[in-house]
Amino acid sequence: MIGAALEMTGVSKTFAGVSALEDAHLSIQAGEAHALMGANGAGKSTLMNILGGIVAAEGGEIRIAGRVASIASPRDARANGIAFVHQELALLASMSVAENVLIEDLPRRGGLIDPAAMAARTQPLLDRLGCGFGPQDPVEKLGMGDRQMVEIARALASNPSILIFDEPTSSLSAREKARLFDVIRKLKAEGAAIIYVTHFIDEIFEICERVTVMRNGRIVGSGATPDFTPGDIVKLMLGDIHQADRLRVTPAAPGERVLTVDSLSAGGFLDGVSFTLRVGEIVGLWGLLGSGRTEIMRAIIGLDPIDAGAIALRRNGALVPVSPHEAHQSIGFVTEDRRGEGLLLPLSVARNVSFGNMAAVAGRFGLIDRNRERTLATGLVERLKIKLNSVDQPVRTLSGGNQQKVVFSRWLASSPPIFLLDEPTRGLDVGAKSEILALTVQLATAGAAVLIASSELEELMRVCDRYLIVQRGRIIGDLGPDADRDALLAAVSETSASSPTLSSVA
Amino acid sequence: MGAIVLAQEGGGVARRRLMGVALALAIAATLGGFLFAYAPNFFSVRNCLNVLIQGSSLGVMAIGLTFVMIVGGIDLSIPATMAFAAVLGAFVMPVWGIMAGVATMLVSGLAVGAFNGLAVAWFEMTPFVVTLASMTVIGGATVWMTNSQSLSDFPDGFFDLFLSAPAGVPVAVLILAVIAAIATLILSSTAYGRSLYAVGLNAKAARLARAPVEWLLFSTYAISGLLAGVAAVMLTARLGSASANLGSDGVVLDIVTACVVGGVSIYGGAGMATGAVLGALFVTLISNSLNQLGVSYFMTLVVKGIAIILFIWIDRISGRASR
Repeated sequence: MIGAALEMTGVSKTFAGVSALEDAHLSIQAGEAHALMGANGAGKSTLMNILGGIVAAEGGEIRIAGRVASIASPRDARANGIAFVHQELALLASMSVAENVLIEDLPRRGGLIDPAAMAARTQPLLDRLGCGFGPQDPVEKLGMGDRQMVEIARALASNPSILIFDEPTSSLSAREKARLFDVIRKLKAEGAAIIYVTHFIDEIFEICERVTVMRNGRIVGSGATPDFTPGDIVKLMLGDIHQADRLRVTPAAPGERVLTVDSLSAGGFLDGVSFTLRVGEIVGLWGLLGSGRTEIMRAIIGLDPIDAGAIALRRNGALVPVSPHEAHQSIGFVTEDRRGEGLLLPLSVARNVSFGNMAAVAGRFGLIDRNRERTLATGLVERLKIKLNSVDQPVRTLSGGNQQKVVFSRWLASSPPIFLLDEPTRGLDVGAKSEILALTVQLATAGAAVLIASSELEELMRVCDRYLIVQRGRIIGDLGPDADRDALLAAVSETSASSPTLSSVA
Repeated sequence: MGAIVLAQEGGGVARRRLMGVALALAIAATLGGFLFAYAPNFFSVRNCLNVLIQGSSLGVMAIGLTFVMIVGGIDLSIPATMAFAAVLGAFVMPVWGIMAGVATMLVSGLAVGAFNGLAVAWFEMTPFVVTLASMTVIGGATVWMTNSQSLSDFPDGFFDLFLSAPAGVPVAVLILAVIAAIATLILSSTAYGRSLYAVGLNAKAARLARAPVEWLLFSTYAISGLLAGVAAVMLTARLGSASANLGSDGVVLDIVTACVVGGVSIYGGAGMATGAVLGALFVTLISNSLNQLGVSYFMTLVVKGIAIILFIWIDRISGRASR
């Protein structure tokens, strides 16, 4: 075997005692694209950050073109011929293409920036990528696809031998994606080694020669792409899904409809989403990361604007059309970003619970009654078995699982008829996960309709009565309670290969 | 282990907040020492009452700014609004009477605040720029309306009413006390007040918990404008005249100093009306005492400026730990 362009062996990393990467190895050949896949938290980012000199590895060895390389800083990474094409376009919109491309090393003459040299250095890069715009054009005038090209040109400016693409297609149209793939093929032909990080399985079969799959900080599979089926890759990504005990018996007769969503579309993220929720059922929103699960939930309650679609809620026995803002009033939403959006971290547990339930703690003259506030919080703390010293303790001092229970308890106090739970168990330990799932079941048993999204299939399979299959902002299927693991895995993988890829349509 | 570390951090925040109070007290005590030695007159009952009266309009405006700062905003237009309201009221009062004049001051203050609120909440404009601009517009309009003259044609009844002192307590001090009490109640014990802190701490989380974020933002500027109107009434009564000068640049500095010294965070989410009032008294005390010691007005600006920097630094280190 000829020497690899990049060879990582035995690379490990722990964060605060938790292992993020264990004995990882990765081998990339020049002239090929290598897909790196894995669910959220699989260790892809850690591995790439080690390569980029952003985090330091603990042990292991990195060889570039056969020679041992020490990468302690982004500067080292650059010097070793490693360049990143970032995902969400970290461009300075008001500056020119040339300034963006050369930002890391602006050509200077006598201490001032030399515009002529800047253009002269940028133009060949743009030509190489087949760009129709010039070095002087401002980035803000460019479309998403062209901006992506500017990112690639920036990466190429240091003349790298190893290029890392991080989710490059997430904001591109089909036509732009086809153009990106042409560029990647060209770079491969020029001898670049490419690491392609993505969540879209269909793409790797189109553009990558080899694939490596990670899970829980380990490499769980690696080989030539044609040796895998999409289903194999999904199984590797998600791991052994042991049919854990179900926490719930699916109700025999479906309840009445309580929420209908009809043809919801939003800015390229959602495309004609329609579904129904019924009283007392738990519906799983099942799709891979980036499929649009979160976007569906946020659009329903008006956190993100929608372009088209109708929402109706049951009120007094009839389905009434409502705006997303009105829907929010009847829906309890548990966000995937607990610390950033769910809680008021510096405030006490009691205040976090009462916020949103002010009517329940109002005393004389409508003023907040501190005793009632503490009683409300204490009651929920006991009911949910939240571990804390005092309800006056700032919520930021609690563990993740207990913080999430505080989020739940806020909604429990107002008992909304509908719950949208977005990754409610994210970042929790096994015990806390089970408790949150048990709580979800209690909500449904008490008559609420629950829509739950999770990256972990085994969790959904423990509680769901029905599954909506999400892919690229659309709901492409609806599976019943008897759907087993293989059917659910097939639903998100095989369809992605059998459905026409967007680029071939364009 | 994490929980223990975090708990210690929580204690640290309280300690740093105490540091602010201690610093204010230390400055006040040092000043007190000097005054005792060089200007014993300062401690006369009359002068103390004077400080209270002088500080009362500042206190009312600082309470207004407290609302705005709790949601993470800033209102630089308060003094200009106050002068504008005072002048409009001074035009109206001789013609339509005392009550109409007072009402004009309150309503015009409220109107300016509502404009600021509209721009910040729904047009999503930056508070600093919006209120700087409205400060300029209103300040300019006030000078233009008055030809830079001061208006002092007030009915006697106006002074009788607002300069009286039932049971020895001046009306200005009463107004401050009542407004401070109401503001404290609103901020600490109503759903509305709680929502303001939530918006200041984390607007996204507040919106998720169904707080009407735009209305809350809007309301704080409206309150700030209304209280600028109240301050206009108090100040015209005390000075006996209204002019564009009421809203001079130094007043903005005083109001911001009062809030920052009083523990209102410029990052939003923290602060109390009582703190702002104490801050206002602290600022008045500095001006008054330095004046008594014969220090130049310009030197007092230097002292106030340094005080702001010190207290913002304290806010910064305590704010960093709590988020």
